[in-house]
Amino acid sequence: MLKAEGLVAGYGAAEEILKGAWIDVEAGEIVTIIGPNGAGKSTLLKAIAGLVPLKGGTVKMNGADVTRQDALGRSKAGLAFVMQEKNVFGTMSVAENLDIASFGNSSGMAARREAIYARYPVLAEKRKAMARTLSGGQRQLLAMGMGLMTEPKLLLLDEPTAGLSPKAAEELFMAIIELNQSGLPVLMVEQHALEALEISTRGYVIVTGRNAATGGGKELAADPEVRRLFLGG
Amino acid sequence: MTIVAQAILNGIMTGMLIAIPALGLTAIFAVLRYVNFAIGAYATVGAFAAWYVNTRFGLGVFPAALVAFVAGGVVGLIAEQTALARLRPSGALAVAIASIAVNLILENVIRFIFGNDLQGFDLPIARDWRFAGLRFGPQQLQTATLAIVIMAVVFLFLRFTRFGKAMRAVADNPDLGRLFGMDPARIAMITVVLGAGLAGVGGVLLGLDTAIDPMTGSRLLLSIFAAAVLGGLGSIPGAVLGAVMIGVGEELAVLVLPATYRSAVGFATILLILSLRPAGILGERNT
Repeated sequence: MLKAEGLVAGYGAAEEILKGAWIDVEAGEIVTIIGPNGAGKSTLLKAIAGLVPLKGGTVKMNGADVTRQDALGRSKAGLAFVMQEKNVFGTMSVAENLDIASFGNSSGMAARREAIYARYPVLAEKRKAMARTLSGGQRQLLAMGMGLMTEPKLLLLDEPTAGLSPKAAEELFMAIIELNQSGLPVLMVEQHALEALEISTRGYVIVTGRNAATGGGKELAADPEVRRLFLGG
Repeated sequence: MTIVAQAILNGIMTGMLIAIPALGLTAIFAVLRYVNFAIGAYATVGAFAAWYVNTRFGLGVFPAALVAFVAGGVVGLIAEQTALARLRPSGALAVAIASIAVNLILENVIRFIFGNDLQGFDLPIARDWRFAGLRFGPQQLQTATLAIVIMAVVFLFLRFTRFGKAMRAVADNPDLGRLFGMDPARIAMITVVLGAGLAGVGGVLLGLDTAIDPMTGSRLLLSIFAAAVLGGLGSIPGAVLGAVMIGVGEELAVLVLPATYRSAVGFATILLILSLRPAGILGERNT
């Protein structure tokens, strides 16, 4: 469903961070992008979401070329990007965060919001609480909920477990699996590479802006070279 | 005792009027992240626009206040587009200083058009009411009611409308707002119209009590700024709370100090509160 090819991108006049990376995501998959620090994983995800201008390559969603679309256009094409940090409006309530996430398309908003409350009861409980008072895990659920308010066809998660306790991280992985089982494909970048690969259909290893390896999630997690890169041993 | 009670009553009344332009100042700060000192001149523009339609066409207080909102908002938008927005890349301080220049320019444009004289609104003269030794004028009641209605409308707008929520969202996190389809630049311009318009209405409400001249807004600027800073710049309820505190503080100070020291209260209160609570009373940011 997502086909991103030959992506070249960077910030300003500096050397390109992405040097022709490619990613495919098929319906129903969880796909994880791993790689060392500074490899361009987050930039790759942002380039797919339309948040980093592309200097080369194409992004196609269900066969439609969205390369020339900005972030809002790609959101309308079905891509929901959840930022790594500052991904909720801290001074607004949980309910307001969900509502404002459907700013671009507010018809049927209340029904979508209720569906998210049903999926994540903790958000329903905290619906009146300011988002900045939520725990790290709850905040991440809210950020994902805000992404879901746009009725996406593919969810892009930038390091969803960054800064979470091991227990909260595990719960969040469970939430991602559940979401995926309900039919939503997920493409994520993760620091917790091995844990993320364990729950992934497939994974991509990105090194210095290029694809270094690709394969099934469990297969990559068991690969000695990958283990050496990410466990340092 | 009665004198103190009267001072507090007067202070609350003045505070509610200062609150209107203070809301404008704090809203502009929340979204655009700079202190707009031209808000004083926007208040004067509103006051003169209202005075003009009141004395020429006999418009009452409510329609005149509406004219003031539009006049303040339009002038504010023009100043923003022609001068202030262009300086934003140079930082908040450059824009704030430029807004002082805008204030001076507008003040003198008004002086050029309407002259330096004091101008009074054409309103029916009414006898003050007395209750338990306190004086209270029908005009005060009308302006206070109008101030409360305006504050309520601003609160409801920000709390419940789609656009009001978007305004708060962009004030909180413009990048995230953009991701969900908001246009921070457009929302900033609408905030300027709203903020400058509120300043215009504040100018009328404060002018109704006395008389207006080209310096009306500039004289109020310190109290407005003090109110917004005191409540926590960027906090809407803070601006109202700060304004009432400044109003009461000024009235009480005049009981023991010569009236010329009235404006010193603003400075003194800012100094005191911000030494204890640098973010202001209801300020949420740690910047």
